[in-house]
Amino acid sequence: MTIIFLLIGLSLLVALVFLAGFLWAVRSGQYDDAYTPSVRMLFDDEAPTEPTAPVRRR
Amino acid sequence: MRVMAPAQRRPELCGPTPLCPPVPAFLEQTATNLACAHCGDACPAEPLRLAELPFCCAGCRTVYELLNASQLCTYYALGERPGLKIKEVELPGRFDYLASEAVQAQLLSFRSAERGRLTLHVPQMHCTSCIWLLEHLPRLHAGVVEARVQFLRKEITITYLLADISLPEVVQLLASVGYEPQITLAELGAQPHRASHTLYYQLGLAAFAFGNVMLLALPEYFSFVEDLQAGFGRFFGYLSLALALPVLLYSARGFFRSAGQGLRQRHINLDFPISLGLASLFSVSTFEVLSGRGAGYFDSFTGLVFFMLIGKWVQQRTYDALRFDRDYTAYFPVAVTRLTPAGEQSISVQELAVGHRIRVRHQEVIPADAVLLRGAGQIDYSFVSGESTPVARAAGDLVYAGGRQLGGALELEVVRGVSQGYLTQLWNNPAFTKDAAGPTLETYANRAGRYFVALTLLLAAGTLAYWGPRDQATMWRAFTSVLVIACPCALSLATPFAMGAALRVLGRHKLYLKNAAVIEALARADTLVFDKTGTLTDPTQSAVQYHGRPLLPLEKQLIATAAAQSTHPLSQRLARELATEALPLATCQEYSGQGLKATAASGQALRLGSAAFVGASAGGPALAPETSVYVALDGEPAGHFTFRNVYRPALPAVLAALGKRYRLAVLSGDTDAEGPRLRALLGPAAELRFGQSPADKLAYIAAERAQGHTMVMIGDGLNDAGALRAADAGIALTDTLTNFSPACDAILEAGELGRLATFLGFSRACLRAVLATFVLSLCYNAVGLTLAVQGHFTPIASAILMPLSSLSVMVVATLLVRWAARRYHL
Repeated sequence: MTIIFLLIGLSLLVALVFLAGFLWAVRSGQYDDAYTPSVRMLFDDEAPTEPTAPVRRR
Repeated sequence: MRVMAPAQRRPELCGPTPLCPPVPAFLEQTATNLACAHCGDACPAEPLRLAELPFCCAGCRTVYELLNASQLCTYYALGERPGLKIKEVELPGRFDYLASEAVQAQLLSFRSAERGRLTLHVPQMHCTSCIWLLEHLPRLHAGVVEARVQFLRKEITITYLLADISLPEVVQLLASVGYEPQITLAELGAQPHRASHTLYYQLGLAAFAFGNVMLLALPEYFSFVEDLQAGFGRFFGYLSLALALPVLLYSARGFFRSAGQGLRQRHINLDFPISLGLASLFSVSTFEVLSGRGAGYFDSFTGLVFFMLIGKWVQQRTYDALRFDRDYTAYFPVAVTRLTPAGEQSISVQELAVGHRIRVRHQEVIPADAVLLRGAGQIDYSFVSGESTPVARAAGDLVYAGGRQLGGALELEVVRGVSQGYLTQLWNNPAFTKDAAGPTLETYANRAGRYFVALTLLLAAGTLAYWGPRDQATMWRAFTSVLVIACPCALSLATPFAMGAALRVLGRHKLYLKNAAVIEALARADTLVFDKTGTLTDPTQSAVQYHGRPLLPLEKQLIATAAAQSTHPLSQRLARELATEALPLATCQEYSGQGLKATAASGQALRLGSAAFVGASAGGPALAPETSVYVALDGEPAGHFTFRNVYRPALPAVLAALGKRYRLAVLSGDTDAEGPRLRALLGPAAELRFGQSPADKLAYIAAERAQGHTMVMIGDGLNDAGALRAADAGIALTDTLTNFSPACDAILEAGELGRLATFLGFSRACLRAVLATFVLSLCYNAVGLTLAVQGHFTPIASAILMPLSSLSVMVVATLLVRWAARRYHL
């Protein structure tokens, strides 16, 4: 039954990985804006039909 | 009596304008139903064209050309009518102040040798297309490296190369596509909105610990694994302790801190019994684990913290795009043009001192009380008083800060510092510093918490006294479990969940509350105080009346045609009111701040404007306080038009409904001419006060509160800011949400004013829902305490009772509020 110690240790380790993942996600700002990314992902990355240099304004 | 005259708006034309076109463009506009390819507005009869596409104005066409050249026309495909009408205002050097090193140091959030980054507030963004275009700024200018939009906050974060583009150019670029950012005094020094992540961290940690501790505690609850428990019990116990420790130290910190703050102010809030319960729960469990008696209550402990943090989270979700803390600095400009002997110089408003000479151009805000030296002042004080008709000021007059100049440039001499002005010194009032002292209204939850503590301590003492002589072991168990069960977690969950649900219901109906405590203040209100101008009256409407000799149809036509030429709000209103066919004009000249002179093709001459300009006797027929425009035909004064404020159409019904339950009052900065009308609207018992200064309004509210009344103030302008702040709940009325609204507790869209009675009724229902949920949670506590005083409160009883009570309270609170919303048809 001593295997339980190992198994519990491993399961905790896995859980800790998920916790770390969550903390990282919060830290990187993924919870700051829950709306804009949902719109942004639907934009097409259409290539310009003719190679145009970005227009420079004075 | 105020006499106002039409004025022109275009800044480059300071003197009389040249001849009008023979056929006024204004009256033609209805002739077409072509929609502008950029902004979607109706085009004039002969729209500007570009590749067959119609445009309503040159501004729109310029934007289209710009986007087209950069392959950005997807903009028009994404949303419906995304384009923003470009205002004609194009002042060279408008953004020059941004080049100043001091301003940049405050605005930029990051700066290296080659890059700069800053976050700007762009209130105009409203749809998918806006996000798309703003994030494709790099295509418009190579100097912009990256642009990221935070749509809900209406913010854009721009990274740009310092070598390729300067900050004024970045802002100019945004303005050129119709998204001019709002850069005000309040923005300076405030770094980009950093949402607090602490609650998320705390929540994540508590959830992690809760899940794992629950698993470890499970074997203990089932007797068939007793042999397992014998072998692993201690190990599981230590592990649970290790997992629960960070929850105590980090996740639960907020509760202990809040309780401690309350105690320091000699005040027991609901967090005190919670902290007491959590502390005893943790220490009892630790003692049990360390002494080898059992696994303790760690699962209940972590679960409690987790649920209560969820409650906090639900309550904390607010409206990102709205700001409830704006003061005058949010409205005042960042920089001002100072006139020095050496020439013009752009200085920060904070550096402005008494004696400085400044220049204020068209559409700029006057930052400090000043004496007008040169120029014709046409000052729009709509943000201050709600009155949208500009006020005329002549050289030598004292001009109060906060007004927006319309028309030609002004030269002024500052007579009071920015923070010492007539308006801004309101913010020096102690009412504006009270926030730090905690909530002004004692919430039910806190009051309940206090009784709870007393009851718990009494019971705990009773348990000690009862079991002491009989059974020492049971005595300690019973004593600690009384403290444990006394943790009013269910009680503390009732308010956040009910109020959180209510906030969302009200938000759907355009009443946006700062936080949940406002609902309680609204529910307990007994007095409603209204501002008049802009709140009870609709600033966009006015009733026009004519006094004087009857006008012939041809004369009316002439007046309408001439008035349509002016952009002054009163002329526009008059043209709309008369709405006749256009008459060919021979000449048409506008005199800024005075009036306008026109001659019809038939030779008839017209003068329209102030009494002096027209030649009418100023003290003449109208002694009423309404705004008047005088008319003279062929040199003979004919009469005058008066413009009267119109009350919002929904007002009589809503005031009648409110009058049955609440004391009503009106505080107006105007004279008492409207007294009889208001009296008829509000009923005989209402308190009507006229000629109130901003400080008077504040003082009135404070005095009434001191007498024990719960006050709700409904206002709109900066002059109500003090009263809004002093009231238990201040509701700012706004016509457009992105517009300025002063610091307040709630923002209500003006069109929804008619439902105020419903909103107040709903908030009362919400408060009843909270009280009902209190009763439910107290039942759970009673069950728990019955077990506890007998010493039967085991970890398994706790493990069942705690989540059950927490979850059911959450569900019941939310459902009760939903039900109330349905009853009120919200």
